[in-house]
Amino acid sequence: MTIENIAVGYDGSPDAEIAVRWALGAASESGATVTIVHATGLLEHLHQHFSPDRLPPALLALVDECGFSPSRLRWLVDNGDACSVLLRAASPPINAGMLVVGSRGQGKRVGLLLGSTSLEVVEHATIPVVVVPSSYVEGETR
Amino acid sequence: MVLVINGPYSDSEHVEPGHPERPERLTAAMAGVEDLHLGADLVVVPSYAASRAELVRVHNGNYLDELGAFCYAGGGDIDQDTYATMDSWAIAKLAAGAGLKVIDELQRRNDGVGFVAARPPGHHALADRAMGFCLLNNAAVAAASLLSQGERVLIIDWDVHHGNGTQQIFWDEPNVLYVSTHQWPLFPGSGSVNEVGGRHATDRTVNIPLPPGATGDVVRRAVDTIAGPVVDAFDPTWVLVSAGFDAHRDDPMADLRLTSGDFALLARTVTDYSPRPGRVVMFLEGGYDLSALRSSVHATLSAALGQSHETEAPSNGGPGIEHVARIHQARRTAIETLQASDEEEGT
Repeated sequence: MTIENIAVGYDGSPDAEIAVRWALGAASESGATVTIVHATGLLEHLHQHFSPDRLPPALLALVDECGFSPSRLRWLVDNGDACSVLLRAASPPINAGMLVVGSRGQGKRVGLLLGSTSLEVVEHATIPVVVVPSSYVEGETR
Repeated sequence: MVLVINGPYSDSEHVEPGHPERPERLTAAMAGVEDLHLGADLVVVPSYAASRAELVRVHNGNYLDELGAFCYAGGGDIDQDTYATMDSWAIAKLAAGAGLKVIDELQRRNDGVGFVAARPPGHHALADRAMGFCLLNNAAVAAASLLSQGERVLIIDWDVHHGNGTQQIFWDEPNVLYVSTHQWPLFPGSGSVNEVGGRHATDRTVNIPLPPGATGDVVRRAVDTIAGPVVDAFDPTWVLVSAGFDAHRDDPMADLRLTSGDFALLARTVTDYSPRPGRVVMFLEGGYDLSALRSSVHATLSAALGQSHETEAPSNGGPGIEHVARIHQARRTAIETLQASDEEEGT
């Protein structure tokens, strides 16, 4: 199975950075492109965190550090909750073949479906999902 | 004419510090009701918690179990926007049950207008997921109850955000017509003009996406020309309104430019859609500027009750008038494409 585009969720949390790092590593090996997706929720209208026009500095630094080619990277800020936005990434125009999420992100509860974006995405997705654990060590892409 | 109201009157345990969806919203909405000075024409019906049987008409049973367990375990953040506390499950069931009791009272009287002064709001709540401040879909629970009685239900949603939960729940239901006006693009990202309903309910979803800055004249033109003919053809027996007031120009959550006078005119329009007295229920959804919320609730209910009132002047001159004809045409094209595809598959 060849995956041409990997979509990875990013909410600014440390776990999201770990997920992005894994996605960039996997894409480097496979030649896939990466779409980093940020969900703009209701509250973000009050406190805009991320511009749709440029990669956040923390991500820019991460991409540089991983040596990933910017030409194979796309940054997408989309309206919605994190789960819906990630699931939409499997449809046009992104057409991701794989979704990557951190294990915790904004959700605070472990072991319950509610409050866990990663588990919600796993339950509803129609394409493969990789949940990257908080303990992921750089360099281990499998 | 009487105003019949219900809601979870003690909801101060559903709160997260600093969150805009807060108990003071309900206080402001109720102040708008008090400003009507209705005296004996204000009927307050007892609070009622929706039963599991009433909730599973629209929500997945596993989701209900999970939400209850999440709350009993102490609650927390469900997603980046939505929270629950230990008491939220009980409060959400009261909010979901409020519409049912209002409907009972209106059916008994065959007169009046209903107002569900409840929070948390409901129209983003999906069948199996909480989101957008919403835990249970209050208007959908009421609509499903009416459906079970053989009614044909029009849901008008003028909250500034698209009611993705309500749309999803009734996507393929031919006896519910869902009409939404909302800012686009904006949370939750759904509500495209091309979303017109499922295979068994084509043309039973009407989405009217409006650009930031749109004023009341644009909303009225769109409702009259796009939704009006569909509503007439549908011929509803009940009208439920997801009455969010965050399209008000003072609201911090979005960028439409409506005034309380615009909500009054919209209230007259939707009241005219009902077949007879006692068949309109309004549900509080969004609305986060407390002063705007109070004046908008007052203006809306006053107009629905046929009272004369002083309010902000209706707004006009914003962008979007030129979009209305294009939205109308895009809808027709989407419906024809869907119907042609169905015919092709049927042959």
